Amino acid sequence: MPGKNFFPLTARLAGLKLRRSPFTIAVAAGLPAFLVYLGLRESPAAAMKFFLLFFPYVFLLVAQDLAGTEIRGGGLENVLFLGGDFRRYLWLKNPALAAAAAAYAAGLFLPLVVWAAARGTFDAFSLAQFGLGLLAGLYYLALAGALSYFLQAGSNVVIILLVQAAALVSLLLSATSRSGFIEHLGDGRFPDLGSRLLLLGFASFFPNLIVSRRLLAGALAVGAGLALALAVQKALLRRLELHK
Amino acid sequence: MLHVSGLGKSFGAVRALRGVTFSVGKGRITALLGENGAGKTTTLRIVLGFLRPDAGTAACGAARLGYVPDQPAFFAWLTGRDLLDLTRRSLGAGRLKWQSRVRGLCEKLLFDPALLERRPGTYSAGNAKKFACLQGLAMGPDLLVVDEPFSALDPPSVKRLRDLFLELRDGGASVLLSSHMLAEMVRIADDFVVLRRGEVVARSGFAEFLSRFRPADAVGLEEAFLGLMRGEAQMTEPSGMTAPLGTTMIPPTMT
Repeated sequence: MPGKNFFPLTARLAGLKLRRSPFTIAVAAGLPAFLVYLGLRESPAAAMKFFLLFFPYVFLLVAQDLAGTEIRGGGLENVLFLGGDFRRYLWLKNPALAAAAAAYAAGLFLPLVVWAAARGTFDAFSLAQFGLGLLAGLYYLALAGALSYFLQAGSNVVIILLVQAAALVSLLLSATSRSGFIEHLGDGRFPDLGSRLLLLGFASFFPNLIVSRRLLAGALAVGAGLALALAVQKALLRRLELHK
Repeated sequence: MLHVSGLGKSFGAVRALRGVTFSVGKGRITALLGENGAGKTTTLRIVLGFLRPDAGTAACGAARLGYVPDQPAFFAWLTGRDLLDLTRRSLGAGRLKWQSRVRGLCEKLLFDPALLERRPGTYSAGNAKKFACLQGLAMGPDLLVVDEPFSALDPPSVKRLRDLFLELRDGGASVLLSSHMLAEMVRIADDFVVLRRGEVVARSGFAEFLSRFRPADAVGLEEAFLGLMRGEAQMTEPSGMTAPLGTTMIPPTMT
């Protein structure tokens, strides 16, 4: 008996969860403060650059514990009282959380655009970069969402961050043997198939980097990763049962 | 209101349900009885859509389906009032009418309304159960599914809840109760479905159950129930009597 207004209810429920998470509130309040600090200390352009590179992590933050605790804790049964089925609720959490994260990011991006324009340093490409950052963010959300079917609390996010850190460390440690690839990353040219494949793999580990003008091609990998993660979530949802 | 037909469910090598079939009529209270592990909760969870059956179907004609679990769990970040307000929004109910309904139910359930400002996860087991009942009843269900309705409740609350189930039935709604508290079931149930090891061993009205399914020396429901569980009950169905759904007798020897 899914209600007609099930998406607004899902969004309200997800929004309440975000607003009542002290960690989320602290990060949400801390990021604009840091951007202002960076803009004043360095320049609005530097603040914009930092924002564009790191705002996809906002999507990762809202994706913490998207499903795991609710599935195993039994709370999901309460969806019955909201006129919907639990599979639909979990699926609709994706767009609901994406909308919340995108609205928050847009709320930071617009003042930065105005600030940069006022200083005469606004680059129109930053609009495209914001769009690419949204794509990276959606990928984070879908990936962390899929992981949360196996993990509880915020461990889905922690795992992604740990894998990123491990990948970065291994890239740095292997700098000698992969010096060619690191140079390619620097100049944005990937002349052979091997380096192009490496770029796609790299972008799937660090989707934020596709906002860089030189690494735009990585958007393909991120888009494919997004589609794959959503397909995995859909398949998990089809099989999901509440055993508690 | 609900027709369950040929339900089968396995968990790994364990066959939890085998061909479970029964109906819950409109305006009837049906008790699902059985020992621990008989398959009562699994049946309820399939009816509610929480589990998928390996075989069979559960066709529910209720527009509003309420549920009271044995051990209620709630969204941890919401207060009782938040949860009820979300339910109100999902139903499109007016705020004032809803508040009045909730107040009335709090009184009937002996539930302190001040608790609504707290998260249900902080309630005592009894109050959590009462709140789950409040949630289930406030929405005005056509079918209310209740797993172990009286567990964790004190005697005055048990009586109040029993009266609420009867009130719901008299209003035309149906109630499906799963329990092993036979004495309470006898007081309110119109129909009985008895499960043993995942199979229905009896479906009947109360009088039929007592008269046709009991060991020779059994004098009450408890004895009849225990007899069924031991596989000792005798089928004493009179010859020539029809057995429509709801009064069907299934001899334990068939299981």
